[in-house]
Amino acid sequence: MQNVIERTLNLLIFLLESPIPVTADEVRNTVSGYADQSDEAFHRMFERDKDVLRRLGVPIELKALDAWEVDYGYIVDPAEYAVPDPGLTEEERVALSVAARMVRLGGSHVGLDALLKLGGMERSVGMEPIGADLGAEADVLGALFGAITERRAIEFKYRDNIRHLEPYGIAHRRGHWYLVGKGSSGERLYRVDRIEKLTVSEEAGTFRKPVGFDAKTIMDYQPWEAGGDPEVEATIRFDSEVAWWAARTLGLDEPAGELVATVPVANHDALVGWVLSFGSSAEVIEPDSLREEIRAKVSAALEAVT
Amino acid sequence: MTSSRTVSRLSRILALIPYVLEKQSADLSDVLEKFGYSEDQLTRDLNTVFVCGLPGYGPGDLMEAYIDEDEVIIDAADYFTRAPRLTPTEALGLLAAGMTVIGMGEATPALESAVRKLTKAAIPEAETALSVDVLDETDSVGALRQAAADGRVVRIVYRSVGKEETTEREVEPWSVFATLGRWYVTGHCRLVDDERTFRVDRIKELEVTGEGFEVPSSLPEPGVGYAVSESDVTCEIRLDTRSRWVLEYYPVEILEDEGEHVTIRFAAPDAEVPARLLLRLGAGATLLSGDDVQERLRVLGNELLSMYG
Repeated sequence: MQNVIERTLNLLIFLLESPIPVTADEVRNTVSGYADQSDEAFHRMFERDKDVLRRLGVPIELKALDAWEVDYGYIVDPAEYAVPDPGLTEEERVALSVAARMVRLGGSHVGLDALLKLGGMERSVGMEPIGADLGAEADVLGALFGAITERRAIEFKYRDNIRHLEPYGIAHRRGHWYLVGKGSSGERLYRVDRIEKLTVSEEAGTFRKPVGFDAKTIMDYQPWEAGGDPEVEATIRFDSEVAWWAARTLGLDEPAGELVATVPVANHDALVGWVLSFGSSAEVIEPDSLREEIRAKVSAALEAVT
Repeated sequence: MTSSRTVSRLSRILALIPYVLEKQSADLSDVLEKFGYSEDQLTRDLNTVFVCGLPGYGPGDLMEAYIDEDEVIIDAADYFTRAPRLTPTEALGLLAAGMTVIGMGEATPALESAVRKLTKAAIPEAETALSVDVLDETDSVGALRQAAADGRVVRIVYRSVGKEETTEREVEPWSVFATLGRWYVTGHCRLVDDERTFRVDRIKELEVTGEGFEVPSSLPEPGVGYAVSESDVTCEIRLDTRSRWVLEYYPVEILEDEGEHVTIRFAAPDAEVPARLLLRLGAGATLLSGDDVQERLRVLGNELLSMYG
């Protein structure tokens, strides 16, 4: 690891300081740490080191060296490299440090890594008696967030289908991250944890977000409202023992006794799952199609026991 | 191939250098604290910086970096006057942290202006591209957090998850945290005379008493970890790919992960919890062992079948 770190630092310095793009051969012959390697070993090392730099946030550009585009070279533009200074005051940095210590994303405090680049963490007074874990895979979210801010189209697998999307925004709600974007069937909502095989387009700035788009509007959905299933209205009865709690989830007034509520459903599975989490204390009264789905699910669960 | 340890070590070095350059001479203890270094780690990283520089790699080409008494000195590193830009994941992590705390109703004006500045400087599109919401339990959450901060005992009417019973308890609240989409409070429950974690949305009634309590000097890291207590019911479940989300939303122990299938051990105070989960999963999961759970699944499943028959 020691060698990798020294070599990568030397490579970065070379790419930042060179006035013109440099070829892989020039890197090999000039930068300390690459000499005496076979062709194959050099290329493996060089690819890996470039990948490390990109993961650090270093913008490495590949540029043609001549008008005929025969040869290409690598360069890092110092202006593009530097983190923009947000001009934070001492007090604001303390506030961000406290927040970054309170909140975890994908199990780690990734906000603290960002703070290092902005000039280090600040001491916080004692441990806060409150915190949050936003769950999810930080890498997928980061890739999506990058695609959104750089306006790059994405492709991914979602429930066995390949989707092409212009991503507009992500939102965290009720413990899940959601992605909203425009695909062939219009603006849609996707659960981030169900996104597989995500690829981000090489081309940036290929679309515009609709004027007035705001990820906050995703907040208006319940989990079972996000989906591509045929939309139905479901009527559900909750026993009085659990009615107060269901009412809270649905944003209704707390009833004195049992609760009968009607909700729009576009993700049948999500609604069925929620109702079954009440055991036998909740029942979908209609439509019959949803009752049938619950019956099928319960039968399948009973059969799945070894 | 490349370990993330390499990446995070380099990231810290590239953040450290501009900080020290700007200060000209930086106080050692300040650097250790700001960058989360131990003195050994810092010495090792400075020694690495010391042998890197411009091609030629002679004495005049390398950076200078060392600790002098209680000062950190870095020089001849003009190309590193600024740290690299934030990666999307880092920017997201910091912004989401700020927005979460604002969403908790815990924001100071400084945090709000910090998030605004950050959004504007780091990612112009972020303002409308990102939104973080942490449930709407702010009344109870606020009261519990305050009680934890003040060291006040609370009395709660609580509907247990799974046991399907409503109890009244006195709790010494230690910390309040949001995870898996829910608010939790951890503390010492006087009813069972032990540490317990409660879901805030299951607290039907909450009263902060005037009685104080001694806050333990070392608190467990807040979180809903997998911890089996002796009275817990345990079972083994095999999940297929459709059901992998369970790993994220329940504290479970992973026994074997083969990609297509993953086998977990699930622990709960009552067989009701895993039984209901298995019903939700339908054909997407198989109960491998756990007699109590199997029995409860059978009874509950048949009850539902007749309800929907």
